[in-house]
Amino acid sequence: MKKFPKIDLKELKEEMKLNKKQRLEFVRMYAEWLKKTPNKVWSSQQNKLLNKQ
Amino acid sequence: MFMELEFSKGRIIFEKELSFLDKLVFEFTAILDKQKINYVVVSGYIAILFGRSRNTEDIDLFIEEMPLKKFLEFWNELYAQGFECLNTSNPEEAFNDYLKEKLAVRFALKGSFEPNFEVKFPKTDLNWYSLKNKLVVEINKEKLNISKIELQIPFKLYLGSDKDIEDAIHLWEIFKDRLNIELFNGFIERLKVGKKINLLEGKT
Repeated sequence: MKKFPKIDLKELKEEMKLNKKQRLEFVRMYAEWLKKTPNKVWSSQQNKLLNKQ
Repeated sequence: MFMELEFSKGRIIFEKELSFLDKLVFEFTAILDKQKINYVVVSGYIAILFGRSRNTEDIDLFIEEMPLKKFLEFWNELYAQGFECLNTSNPEEAFNDYLKEKLAVRFALKGSFEPNFEVKFPKTDLNWYSLKNKLVVEINKEKLNISKIELQIPFKLYLGSDKDIEDAIHLWEIFKDRLNIELFNGFIERLKVGKKINLLEGKT
């Protein structure tokens, strides 16, 4: 049995690049949602995250 | 379609449900206002204030330079209101070894470490610009001084971490139709982040 899986660094780099691109797309998508959502609604949802601290 | 923000006489006015972080920021800035200390909030909290879905461990502020006597009054008021300095318990050391050396002092609620307020005297021309050209935001009738969005977005691009780029994109998406483009482009040019501007529109 192999001790470690095969690691393809080039593949990992591509995956990181894709993850980053998707993350930035999500930030844009979220901001679009925010703009058409009443402040009371988005701030209440944001607080569920912020008030966990 | 635009977020429920009102732009009036150089101010942004809006209502929202305040978070624990917002309330803490208002507690801290109320002390600055009471002590008549000019301040400006910069960096990550600005994106969070306008809805960015992330948390932060610190809130960055520049405060005007002041003599030791005035700083001691500020320090005493902070302690009276339940804050403490994380760097040192000696106010003269905080003033002379940190602020006067253009280093940050951090204040948090007594017994806690996060979130904390990272307070500095302005050092660079850009810091001074933020303080002298602050934008007033009124949230639920409470006032807060923040750095101009036209500077914040290019500066976040300049800082360049994943988190900073995401903050820049968020602010761009919210404010792109309301920015002073001449001012915005001026900061893009001066911070030499023209090559990163495509990130704002998703043209990577």
